[in-house]
Amino acid sequence: MKVTYSKAIGDALKEEMRRDDRIVMIGEDVAQWGNIFGITRGMYEEFGPKRIRNTPITENAITSCALGAAIGGLRPCFELMYSDFTMCAFTELFHLIPKWRYMHGPDFKVPLVIRCASGASNGSGAEHSNPVECLFMHAPGLTIINPSCAYDAKGLLKSAIRSDNPVLFCEPKQLYQVKQEIDEDVYNSDYTIPIGVADVKRTGKDVTLVAIGLMVPRALEAAEKLALDGIDVEVIDPRTLAPLDTDTLFTSARKTHKVAVVEESNKTAGIGAELAAQFQEELYYELDAPVKRIAALDVPMPYNLNMEHYSIPTVDRIIASVRELVNS
Amino acid sequence: MKHSKEFLLDLHKQLIRGRLMEQKLLDTYAQGRVPGHIHSGIGQEAAFLGVLATKQEGDYWKPVHRMHSLAFLMGMDEDMYWQELLGKKGGNSGGRGGMLHIGDRKTGFMGFSATLGNDAGVCVGTAMAIDYDNKPNVVYMFMGDGTSSRGPVYEAINMAKIWNLPVLFICENNQFAISTPASYSIPVKDALAGRASGWELPTKVVEGTDVLAVYDAAKELTDNMRKGGGPAILETKSYRWRGHFEGDSCSYRDPEVTKWYMENKDCLKIFEAKLAEEGILPSQEEIDAFKAAFDKQMDEAILRAEAAPEMDPSEIFDGLYA
Repeated sequence: MKVTYSKAIGDALKEEMRRDDRIVMIGEDVAQWGNIFGITRGMYEEFGPKRIRNTPITENAITSCALGAAIGGLRPCFELMYSDFTMCAFTELFHLIPKWRYMHGPDFKVPLVIRCASGASNGSGAEHSNPVECLFMHAPGLTIINPSCAYDAKGLLKSAIRSDNPVLFCEPKQLYQVKQEIDEDVYNSDYTIPIGVADVKRTGKDVTLVAIGLMVPRALEAAEKLALDGIDVEVIDPRTLAPLDTDTLFTSARKTHKVAVVEESNKTAGIGAELAAQFQEELYYELDAPVKRIAALDVPMPYNLNMEHYSIPTVDRIIASVRELVNS
Repeated sequence: MKHSKEFLLDLHKQLIRGRLMEQKLLDTYAQGRVPGHIHSGIGQEAAFLGVLATKQEGDYWKPVHRMHSLAFLMGMDEDMYWQELLGKKGGNSGGRGGMLHIGDRKTGFMGFSATLGNDAGVCVGTAMAIDYDNKPNVVYMFMGDGTSSRGPVYEAINMAKIWNLPVLFICENNQFAISTPASYSIPVKDALAGRASGWELPTKVVEGTDVLAVYDAAKELTDNMRKGGGPAILETKSYRWRGHFEGDSCSYRDPEVTKWYMENKDCLKIFEAKLAEEGILPSQEEIDAFKAAFDKQMDEAILRAEAAPEMDPSEIFDGLYA
């Protein structure tokens, strides 16, 4: 069957809420309207006003409310609409949620998920286009997930909801309408994907290309084109950015000796910066070249579509960067 | 008599315990035996303990940074309490949260965010869980007059109101936010009650040094909340006797004014005068014996906590993930 990324997210939410009546959802426009991307459509009718609630535009309250609901014994799976709005609730996502259990002791479990639509799309502009994973990788205690396909999205969201740790779940909005062929029996089998386990999306021997979220399909397309020129690229999707599956990343780098990281966030202090540091700390003598960072340009995202596309790594830019790495 | 003798005498004991414990914290800190910072609640005990007297099983209590002794006074394990305060392994978080992050699920002492006011919404979430389970419980959300200027507080009040959730928002107005007087930073008479009046919640403003006035107000508000009456606001007026934290010389205010409040608005003295008027104040010998016994109990607990082990630094990552 063909499944869109957004349907996979919606199905994971519905299946989990049917399975466990402690799961509740609040967020801006998630109830009657079914969220601005249509992901939660039908859930208000199915689960009722106590389990699906619309909120005013109050990101601090939504996010802190998730923590309180978890303390009170619920399993909140809340929505912050755009990933950019996590920054309205930065205190909650940086100080309160990841630290509460550590600060107050093991009796204070915090099982909660904050979902958000991440990254750029169609001229969303400077304040509605920012991936935020790298900002929150600086917050110990938070689990950060960014799935790159419908299959992973469904399995990982279920694991996130069942986790007793707080999870920031980022959904690249350019992927929402992307369809994936998935075996129907598998899709309906209540499968889960473990948190903290990277996936080798394509095996290769020449270059390790670590790709995150929206960049995974682009990295795979780039890899197929590079293969025509005899460059064999291994594409790895960490899927979970915290905790990070460094074992899988390092194993690949030991094989290829050349690493590039491609991400949708800004280059400076981005995910690639952190990964490059980890690779050189652990594998300095294994690497034949400096780790290459392929990332968005360090500018506020322009509204103009040509400039938006120019800012974020394209397949062509990935290909050029990998060639540069291979030839270095 | 509006309140039973037993109730009044229990409240008297709580006030004495609160005063002695706040004093003990000051003394222990002055002796260099406390690793962190003390934000003393001495002189403000009635505002907290009057509300505490309304707390029931299953209620949640979100404290403020002042009056560190409250968790113990509501029934937290004594050794766990002192060990957290002194940064020891037997504390609720192994001494890694410290006195601002005393937490105890058993008593509903739900913890605190030191980014003041951002935990207002946490209380709304917990009230959402209470509402989901159809329980007659409430969440006590404390803040100071300083915090009453923060935006997240008003997001939380708004959300509690639209969902009719049982949160009692309590502003313990001691007239100072660190060095900044409320008379400067709060342009209305009542810090929270005034500024949140637009929500038209059941609201009471009371003299915070009158423990019975505080109790009566909190009781009426919470009784209504337990019956589905939705959120409410209580503002208690007192005066901060000490600095924001110990070591604060209070050079920004007139010591004569502080002295006046300490002499004329001492909540314990005021309550004892009332008990004497009612003819039920215990004898001085009884009070002294109670104080001596409690003082001894605290000293022993502190010595036990001081002798207890700390977490090994190698355990620093333990419990970061569940």
